[in-house]
Amino acid sequence: MFAIARSELRMLVRNRLVAACAVLLPLGLAAVFLFQGLGSSGVFAAVLQITVIVGMGVYVTATTTLAARRQTLFLKRLRSGAASDATIIGGLVAPIVVVNIVQVFVVLGALAAVTSWPVNPWLVVIAVLVIEALLAALAIATAGVTNSPEHAQVTTLPVFFAVIGISVWTMFSGPDAPAPVEWGQRLLPGGATTELVVLGWTGGDLSAVPLLVGISVAWVVVAVLVARSMFRWEPRA
Amino acid sequence: MTSTAIVETTDFSYSYGAFTAVQSLSLTVREGELYALLGTNGAGKTTTLETLEGHRRPTSGSVRVLGGDPADRSRIRPRMGVMLQEAGFAGDLTVRETVELTGAISGRIDSADRVLDDVGLAAKSDVRVGQLSGGEKRRLDFASAVWGTPELLFLDEPTTGLDPSARDALWSVVRSLREDGVTIILTTHYLEEAQENADRIGLMHRGVLQREGTLEELVRDEVSRITFVAPPGRELPVPPTSTENGVVTIETKHLQRDLTALLSWADRESIRLDRLAATNSSLADVFRSLAD
Repeated sequence: MFAIARSELRMLVRNRLVAACAVLLPLGLAAVFLFQGLGSSGVFAAVLQITVIVGMGVYVTATTTLAARRQTLFLKRLRSGAASDATIIGGLVAPIVVVNIVQVFVVLGALAAVTSWPVNPWLVVIAVLVIEALLAALAIATAGVTNSPEHAQVTTLPVFFAVIGISVWTMFSGPDAPAPVEWGQRLLPGGATTELVVLGWTGGDLSAVPLLVGISVAWVVVAVLVARSMFRWEPRA
Repeated sequence: MTSTAIVETTDFSYSYGAFTAVQSLSLTVREGELYALLGTNGAGKTTTLETLEGHRRPTSGSVRVLGGDPADRSRIRPRMGVMLQEAGFAGDLTVRETVELTGAISGRIDSADRVLDDVGLAAKSDVRVGQLSGGEKRRLDFASAVWGTPELLFLDEPTTGLDPSARDALWSVVRSLREDGVTIILTTHYLEEAQENADRIGLMHRGVLQREGTLEELVRDEVSRITFVAPPGRELPVPPTSTENGVVTIETKHLQRDLTALLSWADRESIRLDRLAATNSSLADVFRSLAD
């Protein structure tokens, strides 16, 4: 997996368009949020930045990358070796995820320095890792219905905006939402994870944390299963 | 040559939906053999090769490679080199990085310098793959396939796009691999390559293996041709098959006998046979009869 990951990282750095989408664009958006006053509300900016940075940096980039690698038959080339499918996918997606995790924590660090430090940072760390895994798995699934890198500009939109919408909705309605609404938010993909970020940043009653982690991990498992069934290794004939 | 079967298929079929690309193919390739799988366009050669390589699962029948399931990558692939019909390389990696990557996932050990030198790409090792010509990409593909000298090598149209000297260089490497006992399965549209190098040849048409054997076995039943300008008003000792613009063609399965008869007759009668030519039956004849 290391050899594939190292090659993928090289390609990520050398392809200016991909590098810009994966690294510069999310960081640029984060900077805009910070300097446009959203930083005054630390938790709002944290949720939005995590969602946008991971959404663009992992979900859109990984979908685009996998579609491109399949279109050029690079996946088929990799499958001609002894590496397993899981190793190949892991090697292709790992550099994107690792670079993105670094980005997220750099941005959150800057945000914390400008506003306030999270009360329970470990919850934020868990939430970030879970959302990275969720969106990486969804990217693999989406790549299954994405014929080309250009096509990814369309196929990624529904999930990208759905995840942002769920996060923003969950954050704004907060703990004051009626129980059925609160449960609805929690059960949506990314909803429980957003609650974890809010609890991590602002503190509060932590009794729901095991449940929120459980729901978040369950969504990752579902996304992995969907990815396994949807992903295609070769272009459509 | 030993009798160990390296590749063995029994009634193997592969379908794309309702279309059957390969039908009831039973094939055995033995250790150290160079087996050429030839056929018309769309005959099912690449589907066959990709199934033997483990890229596809047969729709029915059995396929065994190196004594196991070709899809069992961790066990079979370290012993198998694959040159795909289309390269599938990343344009942003250099030639060396590409060979090192494919080498790393091959499960075999080798040196990029040695392999690139063998295929004549040493001078291009730091060039990005996207800047290579089509022929250079084929050589890079070949380099990836022969990395670590596999026991079994699949070559899917290896010389397509190569200039004559690059083709010669590639075949020189293939011959040296054969000396090391490597079993090779080849598809090509260059019939002369199969004719010169293959131990056995299989001919596919419309998904079916129509003929199989050594070159001698395949051409044995094909006709040879004698052509010459016919002397006017003379009865020939061998009946002509056709005459066009004064040029007689005699198709025969007994070239030596009929040519001797013709030349003896011409000598006796003091007749000059203008534009006399005799052509042995070839793989191309077998191929054409298949396509017809």
